[in-house]
Amino acid sequence: MKPPDGNWWGQSINRRETIWLGLSGIWSLLIFGWMSGYTRFGDQNPIGETLKVSPEEYQQKLSDYTDEAGETEEGLLVPPDDDVYLAAQQWVWQGAPVVLEAGREYDIHLSSLDVQHGFSIRPEDALSKQMNFQILPEYEWILPMEFDDPGTYHVICNEFCGVGHRTMHGRVEVVEEL
Amino acid sequence: MTALGLFDNDYDDEGFRTCGVTGMDVHRSAENHVKLFGLTAVVALLIGGIFAFTVAMTRWEVIGLLAPSDFYTHLSLHAWNLLIFWMVFMEIAILYVGGPMILGRRLPITIVAKVGYLAMLVGAIAVNVSVWTASGFPDENAPLLTAYAPLQSPTGFYAGVVLFIIGAVVAALPFFLTMWRERRENPGQSLPLVAFGAFVTSIIATEALVGGLVTFGVTLLWRIEVIEFMDPAWYRQMYWTIGHGSQQINLAAMVTVWYFLTHVVGGAEVVSEKVSRTAFVLYLFFINLGAAHHLMSDPVVSSGWRLFNTSYAFYGAAFASMIHAFAIPAGLEAGRRKRGKGGGLFGWLTSAPWSNPVFSATMFSIILFGFVGGITGVVMGQMQVNMTWHNTFATVGHFHGTVAVGTTLAFMGLVFFVIRTMFLRNLTFGRLASLQPYFYAGAMGIVTLMMMYAGLLYGVPRRTAEVVENIPGTEFSLSAAAPLFALLGIFAVLAILAGAVFLVVAVTSLLFGDRVSDGDNSDLVADGGLEVDGKPVHAYEMRGTFLVCLVFLAVFVVSYVLNWYLLSELWSVGL
Repeated sequence: MKPPDGNWWGQSINRRETIWLGLSGIWSLLIFGWMSGYTRFGDQNPIGETLKVSPEEYQQKLSDYTDEAGETEEGLLVPPDDDVYLAAQQWVWQGAPVVLEAGREYDIHLSSLDVQHGFSIRPEDALSKQMNFQILPEYEWILPMEFDDPGTYHVICNEFCGVGHRTMHGRVEVVEEL
Repeated sequence: MTALGLFDNDYDDEGFRTCGVTGMDVHRSAENHVKLFGLTAVVALLIGGIFAFTVAMTRWEVIGLLAPSDFYTHLSLHAWNLLIFWMVFMEIAILYVGGPMILGRRLPITIVAKVGYLAMLVGAIAVNVSVWTASGFPDENAPLLTAYAPLQSPTGFYAGVVLFIIGAVVAALPFFLTMWRERRENPGQSLPLVAFGAFVTSIIATEALVGGLVTFGVTLLWRIEVIEFMDPAWYRQMYWTIGHGSQQINLAAMVTVWYFLTHVVGGAEVVSEKVSRTAFVLYLFFINLGAAHHLMSDPVVSSGWRLFNTSYAFYGAAFASMIHAFAIPAGLEAGRRKRGKGGGLFGWLTSAPWSNPVFSATMFSIILFGFVGGITGVVMGQMQVNMTWHNTFATVGHFHGTVAVGTTLAFMGLVFFVIRTMFLRNLTFGRLASLQPYFYAGAMGIVTLMMMYAGLLYGVPRRTAEVVENIPGTEFSLSAAAPLFALLGIFAVLAILAGAVFLVVAVTSLLFGDRVSDGDNSDLVADGGLEVDGKPVHAYEMRGTFLVCLVFLAVFVVSYVLNWYLLSELWSVGL
C-alpha cells in the first residue's frame, strides 16, 4: 500500500522464488512446444480448410450431394465419394443420418443455413470420446475425419440456436465395410 | 447524504478521515462512491443468485423446474447479472480504492463518476427488462451471455449493453485523472503495488470495454437494420474482446485484491516488487490475447493465429499468473515469519486469522482459483484439447472455477472488509459470518468439479434445458451422467444457500449492525501491525510456499497429461 522505498528494482530475489520462476518459465515453453508440435505429429487437430459460402450456395451444394448419394434400406445416406456434407439448420441436421466406413478418411463439410450451431459428436457406447466444433453460417469448414471403430455416433447441437436447440440430434453410422 | 445512515462517517474540515485499520487517509468523495458502486454490485449478485437457483434446478433434470424457453431467459439473466454487472460495478469500486484511497487523494470530477454510474445502472436495468420481456423466437431470442449473431435478441438488449459499457468507461475517467495528477505531482515516485495493479487493471478494462463498444454498437446498428450484413466470424472475434476481456478485468482486479487483503488482514508483504510488478506488466501486454480461447474449435481463423493468441504469446500471461501464485503466499509466509508467527513449515498458515471471513474468503479464492479455474483454463486453452471442452458443460465448470469461486469469493471478502472499515459496521451473526466462506467455497467447489466431469467424461453440452435424461425425437440420451447431476443439484442448492447467507449478513450488518467503536476492528489488523521492523522480506524462509507451489505444479502436469491422453484416444481429425 505504501510506495516501495529506495531502489526496489535492485533488491535481490529469494532463492526459492528464483527457482519457481525457472520452473514456471520452462513449463510455459514446454506446453507451447507440445501444442505447436502436435499440429505436425498429432492425429487430432481442429484444422481444416475454410471456404466462404452463402447459405443458398451451401444448400445447393448439399442438394447436389444428396442427389448423387445412395441410400441404404433403412434410409441412411451413402456418400458418393470421400466428401460428406452436413448442414445445421434450426433444428435439424441436413445430410444425416449418414453411413460411413471405418478406416477411411472423409472430408466432412460443415456449415449452417441460418444461425450459429455446434457440432458435438460421440460414439453411443463411449460417451467420454467426444469432440466439438463450432459451425458458422457463411463459412464452409472442411475437416478431414477418419473413424477407427464402427458403431453408432450421435451428433447433438451444443451452441444455443433458438428455443428448439435441445431437440437437434443427428446420427452417423460407421460400418466396417460399405 | 444520510440514506439509512450509510454515508455519514465523520470527516475533518478537508473531508478526510484516517482509517483505523489501514492507516490510509480516506476522502469522503472516494469513500462514498466506493460504497455506491459496491452496494449496487451486491444487488446484481442478489438478482443473479436467484437465477442461479432456477437455472441449476432446471439442469438437474429430475427437478426440471423451467420449460426450455424460460430456461434460456433465466440463464441469460444469471450470466449478465453475475458475470458482468456484479463484477464490473465491484471493479469500478476497486479502481476507486486502488487509486484515490490508496494514494490518499480525493476522487476528482465526481459528477463524471455519477454520470457513469447512472448510465451503467440504466444500461443494466435495460438489459434485465428487455431480456425478461423478450417475445422469443424468431427475432427476440434470449441472448445468453454471447448474443451470437446472426441469432437476434431484443433491440433493447443491445442498446442496454452499449449504454452500460459507455457508463463503465465514463466511471473509470476519475480514476485515470487521479493517476495523472498523482504522477504530475510526484514525478519519479513509484506507485504502491496495489495502485499499480489497479492501474494495469484499468488499462486491460479499457481495452475490453472499447472492444465491446465497437462490437455491440455495430450489432445494434445491424439489429435496427442500418447495417444489412453481419459476419458471424467477425462478431465472434470482436465479441470475445469484451466477453473474455471482461473476465480478464476480474482476474487483474482479483489479484490486486489478493495483494491488498493478505497484506492488511494477514500481514503479507511484497517479497519482490520487481517480480510482482513484472508479472502485472506481462498481464498488460498478453492477457487480452486470451480472447482467442473461444475460437480454438472454430473455422475461419488460421492455426498460427490460434497458437499464438491462445498461448498469450508463448504463455506470457500464464507465466505471470504462476508468478503471483508464488508471490502472494510467499508474501504471507515471509510477512508472518517476520512478525514471529511462522514456526516450522506451515506455522505461518496455521496461525493465520482463519476465523476472520475477510481472510478466509481471500485464501479460498486464491487456492480454488489457482487449482481449479487457473489450471483448467490453460489446459482447455490448448488448441487441440479444446475440441474436447468446447461448448461442453466442462467449460461452464472452468469459468465457475474462476469467477464463481475465485473472483466472487475474493469480492465477498472485500465486501465484508468494506462493511467494517468504510460503513464502520460490525458484522451480524458473528459465527455464521465466519463460516460463510467455508460453506460457499466447499459447496461451489464441488459444483464446479461436477460440471467438469459431466462435460469431459459424458460430453454433456452447456446451454441446454435437457438432454441428459431426454433428447426429444430420439432414444439416445446422456443419462449415464444423471448421478453427477444429482450431486450437482444438491451442492448447487447448498452453494446458493451460502450465497444467501452472505447477502443476509451483508445487508443486516449494514442496516442493523452495531457501529464500529474504538478497538472493534483490531482483529482486522495483522498481528503486530502493518509495519514491523526486521530483515528485508526476501531474506525470510519461503519453504512452505515453495512446497505448496510444487504440489500445484504437479496437479497442473497431471491434469495436462490426462487431458491430452483423453484427446489422443479419439479418432483422427484435421489436417
